[in-house]
Amino acid sequence: MSDAPVLLEARGVCQRFRLPNGQILEALRDVSLAVREHEVVALVGPSGCGKSTLLRLFAGLARPAAGTVTYRGKPIEGVLPSAAMVFQSFALLPWFTVSDNVAMGLEGHGVPAAAAHDAVERAIRMVGLGGFEQAYPKELSGGMKQRVGFARALAVAPEILLMDEPFGALDPLTAETLRSQVVDLWRDPATGVNTLVIVTHSVEEAVFLASRIVVFGSNPGHVREELVNSLPYPRIERSPEFEAMVDRLHAILTATLLPEPEPRAAATPSRLVPFPRVHVVEVMGLLDHLLVRAGGEGQVFEIAEELGVDYDRMSAVVKGAEQLGWVTTPGETVRLTPTARDALTGDAAARQAATRERLAQQPLFGRVLAMLRESEGVLEDEELLADLTIHFPFVPADQLFGTLVEWGRYAEVLDHDPAAARISLIEPVLEA
Amino acid sequence: MRPSRFLSLVTFRPVRRGFGLADLVVLCLVGGTIAAVVSFAREFEAPLRQAVQIDLRPTALIRYTLFSLSRGVAALIFSFLFALGFGLAAAKSRLAEQLLLPVLDILQSIPVLGFLPGLVLGLMALFPARNVGLELAAILMIFTAQAWNLALSFYNSLKSVPDALRDACGVAGWGAGRTFRQLELPAAAQGLVWNGMLSMAGGWFFLMVNEAFRLGDKDYRLPGIGSYMSVAQDQGDFRAMGLAILAMVVMIVAVDQLLWRPLVVWVEQYRLDETTGASGTRSWVLDLLRQSRLPRRAEYLRLRATRTARRAARMARPLARGFEFVRPALQVAPRVPRIGATLRRGAVVLGLLALGAAAGIGVWRFALLLLQLKPGDWGSLAEASGLTFLRVMGAVLISTAWALPAGIIIGRSPRVSQALQPVIQIVASFPAPMLFPLVIVILARAGVGLGLGSVALLVLSGQWYILFNVISAVAAVPEQLKEATSVFRLSSWATWRGLWIPAAFPALVTGWVTAAGGAWNGSIVAEYLVAGGTLRSTTGLGSLISDATAHADFPLLAGGITLMSMIVVGWNRTVWRRLAGVAQHRYGMTQ
Repeated sequence: MSDAPVLLEARGVCQRFRLPNGQILEALRDVSLAVREHEVVALVGPSGCGKSTLLRLFAGLARPAAGTVTYRGKPIEGVLPSAAMVFQSFALLPWFTVSDNVAMGLEGHGVPAAAAHDAVERAIRMVGLGGFEQAYPKELSGGMKQRVGFARALAVAPEILLMDEPFGALDPLTAETLRSQVVDLWRDPATGVNTLVIVTHSVEEAVFLASRIVVFGSNPGHVREELVNSLPYPRIERSPEFEAMVDRLHAILTATLLPEPEPRAAATPSRLVPFPRVHVVEVMGLLDHLLVRAGGEGQVFEIAEELGVDYDRMSAVVKGAEQLGWVTTPGETVRLTPTARDALTGDAAARQAATRERLAQQPLFGRVLAMLRESEGVLEDEELLADLTIHFPFVPADQLFGTLVEWGRYAEVLDHDPAAARISLIEPVLEA
Repeated sequence: MRPSRFLSLVTFRPVRRGFGLADLVVLCLVGGTIAAVVSFAREFEAPLRQAVQIDLRPTALIRYTLFSLSRGVAALIFSFLFALGFGLAAAKSRLAEQLLLPVLDILQSIPVLGFLPGLVLGLMALFPARNVGLELAAILMIFTAQAWNLALSFYNSLKSVPDALRDACGVAGWGAGRTFRQLELPAAAQGLVWNGMLSMAGGWFFLMVNEAFRLGDKDYRLPGIGSYMSVAQDQGDFRAMGLAILAMVVMIVAVDQLLWRPLVVWVEQYRLDETTGASGTRSWVLDLLRQSRLPRRAEYLRLRATRTARRAARMARPLARGFEFVRPALQVAPRVPRIGATLRRGAVVLGLLALGAAAGIGVWRFALLLLQLKPGDWGSLAEASGLTFLRVMGAVLISTAWALPAGIIIGRSPRVSQALQPVIQIVASFPAPMLFPLVIVILARAGVGLGLGSVALLVLSGQWYILFNVISAVAAVPEQLKEATSVFRLSSWATWRGLWIPAAFPALVTGWVTAAGGAWNGSIVAEYLVAGGTLRSTTGLGSLISDATAHADFPLLAGGITLMSMIVVGWNRTVWRRLAGVAQHRYGMTQ
């Protein structure tokens, strides 16, 4: 497969956005990736790692700030006619009927009216929506809507089908059916679809669909690792080979999302890292879950699946718990620490007290508390926000701020007055 | 295949045979519209008769009403075009956005009425021989009361179109034109219609001044319902006043039933969110149109025409073949080379420079005008401002005192609000200044002078904004919150204090901003007016502006407008905006 001609190629691509608050967000840095003919490439990684941005670049919907994006060796200028796209939010025009929506792309592709009519008919039948031609999107269920989304893409008989989390908004049952249909469509020469690029949040989905899986890292988005998946189609979930592949991908993702601490980092514990944007109840939920598990430990992905959380969110929660010293993460395992075990067996007040103790030792919180003490216990929001922006230019400061306030309030170390836009230290801590 | 959604106003229902009553009505409506437009155009041609004689007979009033309506509709069309242009520019270009939004913010809070004299004189100079200048000035004044909220609504709609939908249109290969017609315009349709409704109502506010306007010893008058009313007031003819009020109400109800109601029902289909939210609004006019056979017939004729045109084109093709050899030249030659980025940037810079130069000249001329003011003038300006400020705030207070409880009582019951909404809407559309003289005469009989009486007039100008905002905020309170208050057996007072008033508060602040704006504007006609056949005035910024206009004292007029603009904008920026921030933060429903 690797000698097939290259269809899409990104070379040294960088992309930046200006956030509403004026901050510049670097979405992609120096990304190079080639998609060959008849490949199914899955892009996976934490949210905000620029997967969707890369997909939009391939579609020709945006231009890179630096680097080149080519189709068959030629730079992509304007929307790429040989590609179609399927969106997570379906992106159907609510005032168009199903057939109007499916016909959206045909005129632009220069299909004459009579042929267009046939193409719409065929595409609608292909996704099993015959009879719904005159329905409006609001009359359809989510799964049906996404079928319209697929029919719209298939109607133009695209060489490349770009999919941005196409099953993300669907219930698991519907997603499963549509997923196998996508494989069938891709293998059916009648559709004309040759190559798929899919952005996904689900490890199983990536392994089920893709012939090659590209793992992205974030802040800023970059390619971490590529994994060739040569399981024969159609793939059978729960087969040992499939499971083995899923485990491999899990291992890679864990290494990406929860990197092992570098030895040097241990020596300098005060190095400032942003606290992940997780809520108190999420971390407590994880700890409670670990408490009832044998040995107080489990595989990250297993727990994520059991709790019905996607791996992206799960890894953030694990990171938060780890920063507070409540879990350790050897390999793909999460394990409760003895301190956490002690704290958890007490009542609600004991948990709060334990959190207060741990927060004081977390570098970022420690810094905030120090700033508060220096300014006699009261700090303007602006000051802290400015400080956070300087230290973490790629993290939205107001969100980090919200997380700090939530944890601080829970531990009863600080309070926030939104009307006065001020943070204040709570007395006992001030004296300590 | 091409879905022409904007024609589906006349969505087809099963065929009804025969020429029905519905068709007759539709024909009459079409005929009436054409007649009105034609006679309005003839009016344009009429030579300028200064101080047009207004005929106070009831029969003439029908004609006058149509004239006024045409002005309102013409202004609304301009407002829509302006809104489309403004919204597109501000939503597509960062530079335009940064420039245009603040301009709009100021434009919508200054007393545009003060600019009428300059406008009239300028346009009269441009079209000296005809009534055109005066007509244009009137339309432009109505426009300034209509355009801003429409423009903001369209801009906001464009900004809130989901990115995925834009991408979907992009991937489908839609050009800017098609995306505009089939994505952006439909997505904005609801906002445009609702705001169009508000704009139309706002446009009537200064109808009397726009149509009957005195500058120095000159009397500029246009035939219309406003000038009819103003002549009736000059002559103290109560019968004619009553008739004018009746005509105004009939016009407002007719426009609501024939234009807005059908549009509101029709745009229901263009909503981006999928909440069915069938408001239950029905429109008999739209039902009539949908039942009528005429639109079907028109669509059929249109189809036949396109088919014939296509056939003709096909037959002409052999003829074209002879010219085939010149085609490459034709296609290549007239093509304008793509404008380079540097060239475009240059154009932008030049445009900004021109804009800056124009602004500079304007400021310079304005400053020269202000310099003619004597120190004493500034003193009286300050005193007048203080008095009017007190009146405006008093009016806001009084309006709140009745409109807040009333709005809560109406808004908390869906049944009551649905029943009262159309009535309130029509009452609120009525231009309050038409009632001013009557109110003042009544108050004078009760021994209240204009100094205090004008506060009542300002209440009339601004109260509805408060009522409307409170109703809509209270109606939007989640059902579960209402249930929680009854489950926990909150006393009636506790429910008001704990739920209704806080829930209404952010909207109340919005209402205050607009009500105060309306009151400032209203002061121009409330502090200086003819009532019971005599001219009455009381010290205040509004009467100062009116008086300066009447005596053609342009420096004083400029000073008055500037001061009022500064007070309104300054107060908006400091007090109202801060209050709105607090209200949204503390009492906003979104969490």
